[in-house]
Amino acid sequence: MAEAMTIRPDVGFIKDVLKSGGGDLKKCYQCATCSVVCNLSPEQSPFPRKQMIEAQWGLKDRLLADPAIWLCHNCGDCTSRCPRGAKPGEVMGALRNQAIQHFAAPGFLGRAVSSPKTWPLLFVPGALVFGALALWAPKEVTEPREFANVFPLHVLEPLFFLISGLVLLAFAVGLARFVKALRSAGANGAILAGLIPAFVEILAHKRFKECGKEKNRYWGHLLTLWGFAGLAFMGTVVGIGSMVGIMHTPLPFWDPAMPVESILKLFANACAAVILVGGLILLGDRVLNEEKRRTTTYFDWFFLLTIVGVVFTGILSEVLRLGEAVTAMYAIYFVHLVLIFALFVYAPYSKFAHMLYRTVAMAAMGKR
Amino acid sequence: MDKKLGVYLCSGCSLGESLDMEKLVKVAQKEYKAPVCRVHPFLCGAEGVAQIRKDLEEGTVNTAVIAGCSPRVKTAAFSFDPATVIMERVNLREHVAWCQKPKDEDTQMMAEDYLRMGIVKAQKSEPLAPVSEAISKTILVVGGGVAGMTAALESAAAGYEVTLVEKQAQLGGFVGTLKSRFPQTPPYTELSADGMAEKIQAVTYHPKITVLTSAKIVKTEGQPGMFDVRVEVEGGSKSIRVGSIIMATGWKPYDATKLGHLGYGLSPDVVTNVEFERMAASGAIARPSDGKPPQSVLFIQCAGSRDKEHLPYCSSVCCMATLKHAEYLHAQNADAKAYIIYKDMRTPGQYEKYYAKAQNHPATFLTKGEVASVREGEGGSLVVEVKDTLLGGAVQIPADMVVLATGMVPNSADGEAIRQLHDAEAKVLRNESDTQRQEAEKKVAELKQHEGTEILHLTYRQGPDLPVLRYGFPDSHFVCFPYETRRTGIYAAGTVRAPMDSSHAAEDALGAAMKAIQSVELASKGQAVHPRAGDLSFPEFFLQRCTQCKRCTEECPFGTLDEDAKGTPKPNPYRCRRCGICMGACPERIISFKNYSVDMIASMIKAIEVPEEDEEKPRVLVFMCENDAYPALDIAGMNHAQYDPSVRIIPLRCLGSMNIVWIADALSGGIDGIMLIGCKYGDDYQCHFAKGSELANRRLENVKETLTRLQLESERIQVTQLAINEYGKLPVLINDFMDRIREMGPNPYKGF
Repeated sequence: MAEAMTIRPDVGFIKDVLKSGGGDLKKCYQCATCSVVCNLSPEQSPFPRKQMIEAQWGLKDRLLADPAIWLCHNCGDCTSRCPRGAKPGEVMGALRNQAIQHFAAPGFLGRAVSSPKTWPLLFVPGALVFGALALWAPKEVTEPREFANVFPLHVLEPLFFLISGLVLLAFAVGLARFVKALRSAGANGAILAGLIPAFVEILAHKRFKECGKEKNRYWGHLLTLWGFAGLAFMGTVVGIGSMVGIMHTPLPFWDPAMPVESILKLFANACAAVILVGGLILLGDRVLNEEKRRTTTYFDWFFLLTIVGVVFTGILSEVLRLGEAVTAMYAIYFVHLVLIFALFVYAPYSKFAHMLYRTVAMAAMGKR
Repeated sequence: MDKKLGVYLCSGCSLGESLDMEKLVKVAQKEYKAPVCRVHPFLCGAEGVAQIRKDLEEGTVNTAVIAGCSPRVKTAAFSFDPATVIMERVNLREHVAWCQKPKDEDTQMMAEDYLRMGIVKAQKSEPLAPVSEAISKTILVVGGGVAGMTAALESAAAGYEVTLVEKQAQLGGFVGTLKSRFPQTPPYTELSADGMAEKIQAVTYHPKITVLTSAKIVKTEGQPGMFDVRVEVEGGSKSIRVGSIIMATGWKPYDATKLGHLGYGLSPDVVTNVEFERMAASGAIARPSDGKPPQSVLFIQCAGSRDKEHLPYCSSVCCMATLKHAEYLHAQNADAKAYIIYKDMRTPGQYEKYYAKAQNHPATFLTKGEVASVREGEGGSLVVEVKDTLLGGAVQIPADMVVLATGMVPNSADGEAIRQLHDAEAKVLRNESDTQRQEAEKKVAELKQHEGTEILHLTYRQGPDLPVLRYGFPDSHFVCFPYETRRTGIYAAGTVRAPMDSSHAAEDALGAAMKAIQSVELASKGQAVHPRAGDLSFPEFFLQRCTQCKRCTEECPFGTLDEDAKGTPKPNPYRCRRCGICMGACPERIISFKNYSVDMIASMIKAIEVPEEDEEKPRVLVFMCENDAYPALDIAGMNHAQYDPSVRIIPLRCLGSMNIVWIADALSGGIDGIMLIGCKYGDDYQCHFAKGSELANRRLENVKETLTRLQLESERIQVTQLAINEYGKLPVLINDFMDRIREMGPNPYKGF
């Protein structure tokens, strides 16, 4: 027999999990009802029973390198059936939170973003950048007014590409650490080859459909994801288009002379509407359901409110621009920019990151 | 007594429609010349009972045979003074009318036979004169722990004088030594102060309780109502007379030196839960090896419990104790790690709430698992390897201390084993023959560990203490007859009876106190205790014919009979439970009760009319235990289950009272087969007299010899164990047996 593993519980990690949404972790008495009721749990390596005891014992390294914590979609079936009220679903969420923090580069940002104490500070850098831009960037007046009059495009675009580059770099480091952990824990699936089926599965939202308890989340998450994907695509195309000078923003709503731009504009608006509906469904779920409201952590709120805020302020600024309410339009757009900044800059450290970690984990787990 | 027979037949409850009452009257009047014979349509009603009472009062009847419903019902209506009236009830309802074809020849024959058997039995019975002697109603409690003190307080509160004997210098028992007790009251999440000081005070100052501490019982002789107990106390000894005894001697921890495989003895840092408790109670928890407070403690649950090699049972408190110990540890150092390795966490009832609370601590770690090894690690720490964990496979856990949660061993002495030991020792001394001596020496070696374990020091022939059952607990049947032991008037309470926690022990003490009170009260009226509570009959010994075979003194499950030097039985009537096992054992048939004897049953067998061989009507006799099997047949009757009408039931007080002579009598009288239906025996026995059905079964081994001598098939006799809830099986059992008897053909002795 191989040398048995030596157990050294990390009590600090247990306390972190207890604080970040897994407050009932220690109530678990290992009956495994959770693993039985979970529709997503694979038969050969069921969760979350095992993850529960590992978390109780503070086995941090084992847990963070465990792709299973990402296979959980937090539908809450286990939490509602748990005879002891240990809330395994919430514990899994807390473990994901811990994983994002653990792999984040640089680490201090990971801790800052997940800490409820720092939230107002998180918006200060964006506010400073865009405040400076509004105050000091060279102005150019057009009629009707455009956002670029105050926030010039030739500054915004390189700025956002720079941010995106940094964010991608941070993600790359975080994911590299994650993959290394997965490999050392024995996950030997071909991650690159697994990405395509993982994408297909994610886009189809098959796993959400299998959740027994909450049907709304399927639509909420599906619409948010698809709307977000559409906007990300649009943002990239239009950003590059305007930077190389083949597009001029704001794009026309409908101009027969510019059919491509018009279609893109309509598409972007549609995406915004879709993401808003999706986001509101998710938000409504958490606000209206008392139980969910109680278990929603700061980590959840930060991400959800930021993304809904971005879309909402985006639509609002557009409406104000069309209505030519000049002052309000710039004010709201400023907020919009600050929120976008926060959404993107903190993506590798906030719940946003689940998108990438989950995709990689699913790819690493291979076919179910 | 000059018998004036009155036969009362009830025709109610469909008996009249099923049976020919006229013919039954004829049986009574013609065959038995009953001067009074009455049929009443509602005998248990006021008018029917008044008629019987009138006959009794007028003196025309003093021996009443009441044929109607089962003797188990309407007992209040048919209740007469046993000192002046002989009453016998014949079960024509449950055992005949309700389970047989109405107006049928066989049914009628059955009813007539039962009436004959009843009349014969009544004619052979004598009225019961209650014995009366000066009975002490003082209750002796042995042991001053939770159970003992509670039993003393409860008995005293009920008005009885109590003497409490405690071996230690102070009262309090094990619980008195604890740092704190696990939760006793809602919300069951907080450890409580022990509460023992108040209890000790209440006992010490109670006017009805005499406390003897630093005391030891050196001799207990006598019988319920008149036990003479010699107690050694500091500066002398004293004798006390008591009526009944509650033994609440508690428990001791399982010997941890036998747990080397769990590291005990390996390092001073491996301790038992009791040692850990003492450490916590006397101050700080410190590692014995270096006196430093431990940063991590690993608790091994079921250490030597639920283990075939050690204690096979669960002691029911160790899980709670360990959770409490984890709380002690965290009170001292919140970050110290408490690992708990369990087989199953058993925190019954409300204790679950404490389990939930205790495991909620961040530094409490629980997993199911099997401890594979405990060894010394680096830096003076210990390393425990655990297999089959919930963490997936084997793990090694370093810990500063290891605590073995050992279980409870009752503080009892196996009186039967001690007697066997003493007998064997005497044999060795006598040195009669080599083989005998060798055998006796082997026995001495085997039973040596019982030497000097005596607590009560009974002067009983069957040994100086209570006989124990499985695992050394001196309990009787744990579900049906709690607190009962196999010594009448001596009741076990608390952890000596079964493993339990302190609040359960207090409850247990109340139950045992009730039993002890009942015992002295019944003794004062000359009545038997459980299970024949209220019975006034006693076994009587016609000693002139005694051959000193000692069967009765050895077989009595309750140690009723002592012996003189020659082996002649010396009865102690108040110890007797009136089961009649001695009567069944006696080959000389010299033991009888006034209303139950070998001759009486033999006459009942003779009273059965056995039809001629050519009539093709077999007859089968069923000896039925009246505690479980007989009521089961009553239930079958109430359910109107039909069975073969060829059987004739004779209820026995206990199957153990079955005397072999009846078998011979029946078979030579032409009875075709015999069934014996008694309670289950063995480890989970249900026999109300502990050993009766087992003894009956053993005696039957000898019967086979008799059968061979008579050239009869041994299959003509069947012994069956039946539980009371198996009433549905009874008709099937009877019918199947009848089928086999018909196949075998008639008893060749018919008509001789």
